[in-house]
Amino acid sequence: MSLVSKILALVVILSCQGFVYAQSFNDTLNLKTVTVTEERILDSYKLTKLDSFATKEAINLSELLNNNSSIFVKNYGASSLSSVSFRGTGASHTSVLWNGVSLNSPMNGQVDFSLFPTLFIDEAEIYHGASGLVNGSGALGGSVALNNITKFDKGFSTVLEQSVGSFSNYTSNAKATYSNKKWFTETQLYYNSNKNNFEFVNISLKEKPLIKQQNANIEQYGIQQAIFRKFKSSKIGIRFWYFNSDRKLPTNMLSVLNNDAIASNEYQLDKSYRAMLEWSGFTSMFNYKVTSTYLKDGLTYNDSISSIHSKNNAEVIDNKLNTSIYLNRKFVIKNTMSLRYEQAIADGFNNNQHRFNNYWLFGINKKIQRLNLSIFNRMMMVGKETQLLAPSLGVMYSLTKNNTLKIKANTAINYNYPTFNDLYWSAGGNENLKPEKAEMVELGISKSISNKITLIENELTGFYSHVYDWIIWLPTSSNIWSPTNLREVENRGLEYSLKLTANYQKLKINLTGNYAYTLSTNRKGKNENDNSVNKQLIYVPYHQANYTLRLSLKQFTLSYNYSFTGERFISTDNNWYMPANFISNVGLSKILNITPKTRLNASFKANNIFNQDYQAIAWRAMPGRNYLFTLSFQFN
Amino acid sequence: MRIILTILLIINLFSCKKDELGPQCNNCSDDIIIAKAADVVILNEGNFGWGNGSLSYYQSQTNTVSNNVYQQANNNVPLGDVIQSAYQFNNKFYVVANNSSKIEVMNSFTFSNDATITGFNSPRYFLPISVSKAYVSDLYSNSIQVVDLTSNTITGSITTNCWTEQLLLHNDTVYACDMTNDNLLIINPANNSLVDSVKLGVEPNSIVKDKNEKLWIICGGGFQEDNAKLIRFNPQTRSIEATFVFPNINHSPSNLVMNKEGGHLYFLNNNVYRMEISASSLPSSELINNSNNNFYGLGIDPISDEIYVADAIDYVQNGIVFRYSSSGSLIHQFNVGIIPGNFLFIE
Repeated sequence: MSLVSKILALVVILSCQGFVYAQSFNDTLNLKTVTVTEERILDSYKLTKLDSFATKEAINLSELLNNNSSIFVKNYGASSLSSVSFRGTGASHTSVLWNGVSLNSPMNGQVDFSLFPTLFIDEAEIYHGASGLVNGSGALGGSVALNNITKFDKGFSTVLEQSVGSFSNYTSNAKATYSNKKWFTETQLYYNSNKNNFEFVNISLKEKPLIKQQNANIEQYGIQQAIFRKFKSSKIGIRFWYFNSDRKLPTNMLSVLNNDAIASNEYQLDKSYRAMLEWSGFTSMFNYKVTSTYLKDGLTYNDSISSIHSKNNAEVIDNKLNTSIYLNRKFVIKNTMSLRYEQAIADGFNNNQHRFNNYWLFGINKKIQRLNLSIFNRMMMVGKETQLLAPSLGVMYSLTKNNTLKIKANTAINYNYPTFNDLYWSAGGNENLKPEKAEMVELGISKSISNKITLIENELTGFYSHVYDWIIWLPTSSNIWSPTNLREVENRGLEYSLKLTANYQKLKINLTGNYAYTLSTNRKGKNENDNSVNKQLIYVPYHQANYTLRLSLKQFTLSYNYSFTGERFISTDNNWYMPANFISNVGLSKILNITPKTRLNASFKANNIFNQDYQAIAWRAMPGRNYLFTLSFQFN
Repeated sequence: MRIILTILLIINLFSCKKDELGPQCNNCSDDIIIAKAADVVILNEGNFGWGNGSLSYYQSQTNTVSNNVYQQANNNVPLGDVIQSAYQFNNKFYVVANNSSKIEVMNSFTFSNDATITGFNSPRYFLPISVSKAYVSDLYSNSIQVVDLTSNTITGSITTNCWTEQLLLHNDTVYACDMTNDNLLIINPANNSLVDSVKLGVEPNSIVKDKNEKLWIICGGGFQEDNAKLIRFNPQTRSIEATFVFPNINHSPSNLVMNKEGGHLYFLNNNVYRMEISASSLPSSELINNSNNNFYGLGIDPISDEIYVADAIDYVQNGIVFRYSSSGSLIHQFNVGIIPGNFLFIE
């Protein structure tokens, strides 16, 4: 066992001896007026909230989710493509929402998490399994909601932040917020450059040399701007986002023998524009939110050697109307209408592709004493396809009066429509594809234990989902790769999460932990020789766990994060697997109060402290021990 | 609190597990292989960029297969991806790893690595010209690389301005398939110069020689670009003698192979076809029906004329090899590595 964990263990043991101090434990910052109703409706589902601590500590979104949730993050290496999957489903089965609007590309159905700095979001919520239905189609595994918070009457505040880290990693970030009783404005600027020229042992070569990663440098910058005006019982505002990312794509470690000129041939340029108009309001009986959003994502891939210059542009216009009608305090009718137009222009398509991707979600939420019942149905119109029935039923029952012991059960059917690439890619696209269909059931129990000094929240959820018509690409008889609805996958498993907060005099202890056990089994093969039948899907670990322990004393905060990813197969016959890895990160930060309104926050973070040599994806190098020093100047 | 602590400690104890680095195999043989004549090496391409190309070794006398033999013989060092082709020459195997941009040179008895030839862009096929010289065709470099076999380095190149595919040496002349401009390139190896090119059909992918010293070339036709063609070429007159057009535009024949005696052509076009070189038309029916498998690689045993066909199944699992008698009846089927694409019959 490692020394650090021994020390941490000791601290925890000591802290158990006698707490005498009590404080409020609720440190989460929530939007009161608008989202509170949605939360109530979703009571019966499993929802993980990532607080501002976690959000601020992680460098990017993939690290945030990897360290703080039971989602599996598939990361091709530092600054490279990163996608996530829930409960054994694929990357395109995770829907990613920016302030309620799906960012999933109409071309491949995915979101690249390396193109999302955590500094641009205030709060992340993870909807597991069936609850993803409420957020739109495609979320067969679940959805990740990334939200910005608008608060009025808070005055002026600024944050100026500079980080310097290993491998020439520089991040600059500035945020200026001003709000009075009527207006809110926020400007965020972000810049990051990272050479990622870390050293690693190239175990693919005979001599196992220590070499430097090449061609992994990245440069990203972006701006996010929000302006809101508040009225008596409503607010209206706009958000704007621009993000630019320019990176080289490193090869796997088997190719590094090449000379420089050859190895540095691939790079990728991503540009995203997002603009959202939002109008929301509430009365005692009724609340509404209307958004109209324009999304544009451009991806340019260049390979100088093969002379591939591929341009892909996707545009989305998304209009949403959310309403909740409160018939009384215990009965809510919820309605979401989404009109979404998707368009893509790519070298791989013969024509510009476009379609409507609309849905109407209608449901009720009723409280009957200790029972909370939700019934929803979603109707979809995607292109020429119509699906009238995608229902969801959820119940939550409080076994105790004070809500400390709850059971949750829910079931749902959801669909994921084929993407433009699936349908129209030339050559290979298959216009006869059916949507993927998932039937989901889950059962959970949550218990919270509290006394004057500690609050412990536990949640255990068992899930089962059956995905039919899962789309995979395979070569046809004429050797052209083409997608078909071949697979049928059964997923089941357990998720456990823990939150502990304790205050011992001036010492604050905060612990969050997650564990997931996932069985993800393919049930359908191509023919009788197909050995993938009844085998675990590739890159789905059976076991996954992580925890973060945070100790705060006066102005100091010490944090320790541990994340374990179990063995996962990399061939569908389960003949090859990646060994388990376990990464530990440590952080220390101190707040210096310069004046009552001015603070300086200095933090130091050591990642992968045990310098573990590992690969997340086969033969893709990952950085060893590395450091990050951040100075943050805050004025408010 | 204590319970929680204990759980955390147990989780951390996972860190104490044995050290495994990189991809691990559950069912790979650890046999020590001494390769011998009449046995078969199966080239498993592996997935593009996944580093999982491999060699399997099949003993046709005993029907035994050993997978991952290169990695076994070389201290677990992986071979690369995508394993495109291999050549046995001068007691060595030259194995071309296309996406890893290298050729691994190994002892043709033990598979132990002798050298790695690097500096390619996207190498496809290896052709020895003499004891000290070889040519390597390339997908992207617009040239054929000239390799010195004593130093195992690239010493020069022949500019072709195209994707060059299969190569063939006949009467001190090298013939190369030009996939970009649909030509047959004619090269004089004495001075490494391109001397001529002859227009063929769309995408000439494979070339063989028959017993009458005629060359046969299959043009796949591209993706619905043109009908595929089988062409007989006279190297003496440098002219096309016969063209057999495949009637269906969706057909993309590939993997043209000649048997040892040089009288029968074999190729893949969904199924396995056999054609006599004297035939006046394309075979009307297949020799071996794919029975719902996806035939991806084809090889003809030079001694027995037995037919080896590979199927990659879902391309992410160990593929399967079907071994048929010369008349097309199944003798044996066995699992090899990921994406079996080619065969090397040991001489």
